[in-house]
Amino acid sequence: MKMSCLKGTTISFSCLKLAFPSYPSSFQNLPFRRTIKPLSAALQTSPATSPSTTKAEDQVARSHWKAAIDFKWIKDNKEAVAANIRNRNSDADLELVLQLYDHFFNLQKEVERVRGERNAVANKMKGKMEQSQRQRLIEEGKNLKEGLIALEEDLLKLNDKLQLEAQRIPNMTHPNVPIGGEDSSMTRKLVGSAPEFSFPVKDHLELGKELCLFDFDTAAEVSGSKFYYLKNDAVLLEMALVNWTLSEVMKRGFTPLTTPELVRSSVVEKCGFQPRGNNTQVYSIEDSDQCLIGTAEIPVGGLHMDSILAETLLPLKYVAFSHCFRTEAGAAGSATRGLYRVHQFSKVEMFIFCRPEESEHYHEELIKIEEDMFSSLGLHFKTLDMASEDLGAPAYRKFDVEAWMPGLERFGEISSASNCTDYQSRRLGIRYRPSEAPVASPKSSKGNLAPPLFVHTLNATACAVPRMIICLLENYQQEDGSILIPEPLRPFMGGRSVISRKL
Amino acid sequence: MKGKMEQSQRQRLIEEGKNLKEGLIALEEDLLKLNDKLQLEAQRIPNMTHPNVPIGGEDSSMTRKLVGSAPEFSFPVKDHLELGKELCLFDFDTAAEVSGSKFYYLKNDAVLLEMALVNWTLSEVMKRGFTPLTTPELVRSSVVEKCGFQPRGNNTQVYSIEDSDQCLIGTAEIPVGGLHMDSILAETLLPLKYVAFSHCFRTEAGAAGSATRGLYRVHQFSKVEMFIFCRPEESEHYHEELIKIEEDMFSSLGLHFKTLDMASEDLGAPAYRKFDVEAWMPGLERFGEISSASNCTDYQSRRLGIRYRPSEAPVASPKSSKGNLAPPLFVHTLNATACAVPRMIICLLENYQQEDGSILIPEPLRPFMGGRSVISRKL
Repeated sequence: MKMSCLKGTTISFSCLKLAFPSYPSSFQNLPFRRTIKPLSAALQTSPATSPSTTKAEDQVARSHWKAAIDFKWIKDNKEAVAANIRNRNSDADLELVLQLYDHFFNLQKEVERVRGERNAVANKMKGKMEQSQRQRLIEEGKNLKEGLIALEEDLLKLNDKLQLEAQRIPNMTHPNVPIGGEDSSMTRKLVGSAPEFSFPVKDHLELGKELCLFDFDTAAEVSGSKFYYLKNDAVLLEMALVNWTLSEVMKRGFTPLTTPELVRSSVVEKCGFQPRGNNTQVYSIEDSDQCLIGTAEIPVGGLHMDSILAETLLPLKYVAFSHCFRTEAGAAGSATRGLYRVHQFSKVEMFIFCRPEESEHYHEELIKIEEDMFSSLGLHFKTLDMASEDLGAPAYRKFDVEAWMPGLERFGEISSASNCTDYQSRRLGIRYRPSEAPVASPKSSKGNLAPPLFVHTLNATACAVPRMIICLLENYQQEDGSILIPEPLRPFMGGRSVISRKL
Repeated sequence: MKGKMEQSQRQRLIEEGKNLKEGLIALEEDLLKLNDKLQLEAQRIPNMTHPNVPIGGEDSSMTRKLVGSAPEFSFPVKDHLELGKELCLFDFDTAAEVSGSKFYYLKNDAVLLEMALVNWTLSEVMKRGFTPLTTPELVRSSVVEKCGFQPRGNNTQVYSIEDSDQCLIGTAEIPVGGLHMDSILAETLLPLKYVAFSHCFRTEAGAAGSATRGLYRVHQFSKVEMFIFCRPEESEHYHEELIKIEEDMFSSLGLHFKTLDMASEDLGAPAYRKFDVEAWMPGLERFGEISSASNCTDYQSRRLGIRYRPSEAPVASPKSSKGNLAPPLFVHTLNATACAVPRMIICLLENYQQEDGSILIPEPLRPFMGGRSVISRKL
């Protein structure tokens, strides 16, 4: 065994053991552990890969992107992070992450040390020496090099594993967010009141049937369940809702966008969604790394990925119109009939990139815009501060709006506004350069450039068309089965004020 | 075997019956397989062709109509990509990172232009008696095939969904055709005229070259599509109606274009006859296709199973005997592009560019853009 030739170096199994303290059983399956044995083989030959790891693991590990996670911060605040994980009912394993991180940190140091030794040997070889001494140095250098290659590979794999585990840690939580499940969500605001009807109330499906507004049955044959055609005035209503919403939000300084609806799955992941999980909400394209978007939040987030923005550009405010596609795997029950839960729908989405100290302000701005719009449509609704178990990994805080749906006889979610702080930006790689402090010659030295910081991102539903259609049909139904069109939408429906049966 | 007989005779008959039954099962299985093979081969036979269609390749297509003339510019003409860049209208580069090449974001006034085009087109076609629709954009692959497309071929234009029999539509023609599949319609319902707005997705496999830069050839776009189900004797009439609607709309937008009667090699399997409209694109310095109107006669309806029941001749008691019911006949289907948004955007930007880089908005679209008459640089 070659180890005996490594006299004078400390690279040996004993050193490697230092990097591998005793681990919980979950470590037994880690790829890098299996490389300890073949490391000696690596020292004799010069493989780039360890034969015992599976090819698939290698490929998955190597192609995965890296989130700029602040490990030091997590380590320094581990009690708070652990409490947060509990409060959110997350399955992230903080202990494992911290152990992997320490391990990674130490292995990184080890790699640097071995590199240093190899450089030292290389330098030694520059001087004059006897042939046998040179030969020994050459062998030493070669062993160090092979050992280094193996260590670096271990480091890569360890980093992949660390990333995989760390990415599961949810965002921290705003101190005012109620702790608990959906029953703990707090009502922030209540607007309007349930309309009173002097006649039996119909649900949107029945109203739509009488007015020839939808077709679910044929869509089930053509496409599958939870698909639909909109017909006649429902088409005009969709167009009116989208046009009106876009114009209302643009008035408030948002830049309009339409977006790709096919995106690379890595972008989906970076926004905090899971394209490949069980019960995934995401449709994937065959023979491709592309997926269909479930929300325009994804392509809009991607708009500035891997960028450093000038601070003067912030805040960047976008309003995006797109179709959205969701598998709704795992969703069932009567509350999902008709338009309430569908695989494809039109949505207008607001998205903001801003400086960290401003995200709470813009969260309030977004929810205000939503509340103003829903009020002007005359809806009865409540705004909820969602409880910790209902937040979803990216959100620091989330406000949902639930509107009264007389046909369903309950409130139904029509929008959601999330402050994702730096969760998405650390994954998408979106930073900004704070403006420099004024100096005599700003470009005099690199030291004057403030280091870039991660932006905060926020997203909010301006209009989810099918849910809005339910609200409008059910709340504005008349005794004769016709539907009153709320004032703001009339100009966008050619001035009409009623949807009625075709004669 | 129902009659009386001796035991041995009965036994012989039982054996004979058994042999016949097994033979039958085998024969029926052969028949099924043969029918499958027959269908596979027969479905490849293209639709018949209208006698006036020129025979040959794309050079043989005949110009039916020429409208307007190429605008003259007193300054160097820019193409839509350059115009769009200056006016902050598109982003192709970031879309390539997020999604892949031939994807794009529309920004600022381009979004308003898309909405204006769609809204205006829908309202123009609705005025002519078409029923508006929005459609599913995921459909079962069998429906795609029944419309005459090939979801699984090499160089297929169709995106398929993983672990599913669903595909993304390349045109609303598919879900609209599917709207009446496996149905017998009352004759009095015909013609059924629909105008459908959808997003369309195409792989564009095999398409390459400089003419495919920018918005000219993209994987995803918005389109307003017209679709008619009618009686066979009326399809030629409605084909003329559809092309007239298109020509009226493109004229009112002030475009310079020609309508082509496509030659036999360029028809595509379902079309009996196809009229394409090509509009002048000054930046590309050539005509580019902006729409297509096909009469598919009964090609799609025979696959989608769409028939109609001709009205019965008046008799004393119409329901007296089944013999009075006329047998159902296959409808004819037609489809035509009312507005393919990216190509229209190219036309509008390139034809209406001003010397200062701003774009004049054609009159009909102004009400749909809040009354504005110009797209100009943001200050």
